[in-house]
Amino acid sequence: MSSETLAQPLGGRIQWLRRPRGIARRSPTFAAGLIIILVYGFVALFAPVLTPFDAINAFPYHVLESPNGRFLLGTDGNGMDVLSRVMYGTRYAFGIAIPAVILMVAIGVPLGLIAGYKGGILDEVLLRILDVMRSFPAIILALAVVAATGQTLVNVVVVLGLVEAPIFARVVRAEVLALRSGGYVEAAVAAGNPVRRLLFVHIMPNAISGATAQIPLRMAWAVRASATLAFLGVGIQAPAPEWGAMIRQGAEFLISGQWWVALFPGVALVGIVLGFNLVGDGLHDLLDPKSKTASK
Amino acid sequence: MAEPVLSVEKLVKHFPGQTRGETVHAVNDVTFSLFPGETLGLVGESGSGKTTIGRCAIRLLEPTGGTIRFRGRDITHLPESQCRPLRGKIQIIFQDPYRALNPRMRVGRLISEMLMLHTALDAKGRRERSLELAERVRLNADLLSRFPNQLSGGQLQRVCIARAIASNPELIILDEPTSSLDLSVRASILELLQELQASTGAAMLFISHDLETVSFVSDRILVLYLGSIVESGPSKRVFEQPAHPYTQSLLSAHLPTDPEQPLQRHLLEGEVPGPINLPPGCPFEPRCPVAISECGLAMPEARLLNGEEHTAACIRIDDGSNTLPLQR
Amino acid sequence: MSLLEVENLHTHFISRTLNDELRVAKGLNGVTFSLENGEIMGLVGETGAGKSLTAMSIMGLLSPPARIVDGSARFDGIELTNMKREELDQLRGNEITMIVQSPVSSLDPLKRIGRQLVRIQQVHQDISKAEAHQRAVEMLRTVGIPNPALRTRAWPHELSGGMAQRVLIAMALINSPRLVIADEPTTGLDVTVQAQILDLFLDLVRERGLSAIIITHDLGIVAHYCSKMAVMFAGRVVEQGPVRTVFKDARHPYTRALINSTPSRVARYGHVRSAGGAPPNLYDLPKGCHYRDRCEFSADICATIPPEVHLDSAHLASCHFSLNVPWAAEG
Repeated sequence: MSSETLAQPLGGRIQWLRRPRGIARRSPTFAAGLIIILVYGFVALFAPVLTPFDAINAFPYHVLESPNGRFLLGTDGNGMDVLSRVMYGTRYAFGIAIPAVILMVAIGVPLGLIAGYKGGILDEVLLRILDVMRSFPAIILALAVVAATGQTLVNVVVVLGLVEAPIFARVVRAEVLALRSGGYVEAAVAAGNPVRRLLFVHIMPNAISGATAQIPLRMAWAVRASATLAFLGVGIQAPAPEWGAMIRQGAEFLISGQWWVALFPGVALVGIVLGFNLVGDGLHDLLDPKSKTASK
Repeated sequence: MAEPVLSVEKLVKHFPGQTRGETVHAVNDVTFSLFPGETLGLVGESGSGKTTIGRCAIRLLEPTGGTIRFRGRDITHLPESQCRPLRGKIQIIFQDPYRALNPRMRVGRLISEMLMLHTALDAKGRRERSLELAERVRLNADLLSRFPNQLSGGQLQRVCIARAIASNPELIILDEPTSSLDLSVRASILELLQELQASTGAAMLFISHDLETVSFVSDRILVLYLGSIVESGPSKRVFEQPAHPYTQSLLSAHLPTDPEQPLQRHLLEGEVPGPINLPPGCPFEPRCPVAISECGLAMPEARLLNGEEHTAACIRIDDGSNTLPLQR
Repeated sequence: MSLLEVENLHTHFISRTLNDELRVAKGLNGVTFSLENGEIMGLVGETGAGKSLTAMSIMGLLSPPARIVDGSARFDGIELTNMKREELDQLRGNEITMIVQSPVSSLDPLKRIGRQLVRIQQVHQDISKAEAHQRAVEMLRTVGIPNPALRTRAWPHELSGGMAQRVLIAMALINSPRLVIADEPTTGLDVTVQAQILDLFLDLVRERGLSAIIITHDLGIVAHYCSKMAVMFAGRVVEQGPVRTVFKDARHPYTRALINSTPSRVARYGHVRSAGGAPPNLYDLPKGCHYRDRCEFSADICATIPPEVHLDSAHLASCHFSLNVPWAAEG
């Protein structure tokens, strides 16, 4: 079988779909994950238009109704439509995860860069701090801090951002160390580059690829973490349509048989975490520099 | 006699070993000078210290002992901030061009970076000069817009050469510049280097394990073994009349690319030991076929051979028994 | 019948870009050569010429996206390219063995070398552990490792470069193969160690009447350790023949340029336009002779595939001008 006969691309006529198809072929994981996240994102953006009811619109005469024609996913203990609440929940998910991850990157990456490059005392101190932080379960730490500082959205975001920033610092530090030992960084030093240029022009762009791969994974973590906090009664609380809070409320009703109140927010949570994790895994396939056709 | 560009005196460089308490004696008491327009070859195998010497000369490493002078100025313990301005005058070309260049920068930008760091040219001036430099190293101008991994080894090494000469250096260190290149391109790179030296007048320190390559480009050669100079002299002489037993065996191990030429080998036992626990005497003594008990007592002094600046550090020269017997 | 017959072997790398386009890199484009019993052949060429790829194709070690798309490789008359995995496994490590450049990839870092030597025997022969161990010690002694009995307990990372290479040779020869393929066996070793390893290899091969292919880019090795040589460029064998003949009377421009590009020859004959230049783009090779873009004697006829010219029974060259070479003979 010659290579020419293998040269028939699928549906080659649709030119503009080539790149997405190429990406999907290389990493179905990435493609699947991305589609999931895009769907959630779409819902988050257009929630007011898509939802049949308002998220906190209570129907006192329709409390705890099982899924039916009017309330497709049933109603909760306050008579609010579960479907609408689940859909609005996407806003909370993204609204917490995105700022939290931005904070993680903003703190972790520069720290990792400096510690990795300078070495010495700075590096040792940072390493010890990272070790200490890693020895605490992040959720417990976040729990304690939010409970102490106040249960606002901002506090939750800030705490989550701080607690997971060490991961970015570690990843970036490792890459910087790898780059420093013989390689073009040594050549750049020999060329006469000042430290500023070394860090920002030569080291950083190549060191952040590991960090980039972490971003979707941390997003997944942030969504889970905030849901966990809410479930435990810390952070976002009812009647806000946050999935964790919804599951907290719905847990009471599981015993009495009203399964829909807790299940659907749970499924939504699992779905978005799955989506982010697939994107994270798939990103690795795409960015693998060993592959000849990896994107730059 | 003109002032030497580089003058190295009793250079010592030690590294902490892998296990506690161990020291790697990479360079032990090396002294030499390099004059403008001259090419000095440093030859040796693994553990000889040649790479370390090169790195010390450009101050990528700080010597443990001894002195390094560049144009008379003591640079041995200069802090990094003061080394930086020197980098325009001392340049280095590494063995593997793929590892020496930032993979995310286009080749043209990598060349103009040198101009930006060491000249006062504006963007337009840098662009023009980059084109000139590319032409000078016989690199096709189209390639300047490509990334390093899109060029072949030979082409990329030309980029590195262009970078090295961009700032008009007075001293260029070449650390095995052709060892990772295919044979077919080596000769042309070596020729290019010779040409550039003739036109720029820069002094070159050519480091290699290949005696044939080194003798082709160098005026003088230093043969190194476990951090010490065992032989030095004009390259033609050392190549044709090696005095030190190690130089002889090194030369004989080289395979001529002519099947008609018979092999005359001095085969050595064992391998080059690591430079960790050095014996007190001649470092080559454990493997030397003509060693006697006195060899292990003290480091041999360099002996002058028939004038002409050819020296070798071997006590067996004194009674003429330094020539190795042939095998095969 | 020759021991190894490779005929018109084509190996391509077939992949898709992110833009969903098909890309084909033509690694081997019709490799043909044969190896007789007891011959030692040197396979030379620059990076990307296809030397290692040829060995991998013969041994059935290609992994996607590489695949053999045409041609054949016959060992003792048996076709290798369409062999089932189980049959190949019986041949590899047994009758055909390979020594690779970096011992790190051949030696299991988690097993002592004695155990690896025993294991490779047990896989292919009906032999007791004790006897296999005995043979392992003997083999280590043969390849010049001091204290072989003690050394069987060594871990791979404890070995120096030269020693590791000797162990690889031991592993390659312990099952008495008939063909050994050595891929750049001495690259990276010190020159003085290289000499020892090559001499050892040559002695063992001759002593046991084996055939060998030495893949290298070092013409010196070919000149002194091989009886026959094949020069590759862009996936084709452009010239092959007895070593002395090819060195003295090269009939392909690339071979000639290669031989003349060593520093000593440049010093002797003055500058010869080197064989260097841009490596051929395997995704887009020129039609006809693949060397024409770099060849100083390129002419219109080179747009057609050059014929295989038989200069005598053993010396072949693939150039339109092989019979009447456009260069003066050199002494």
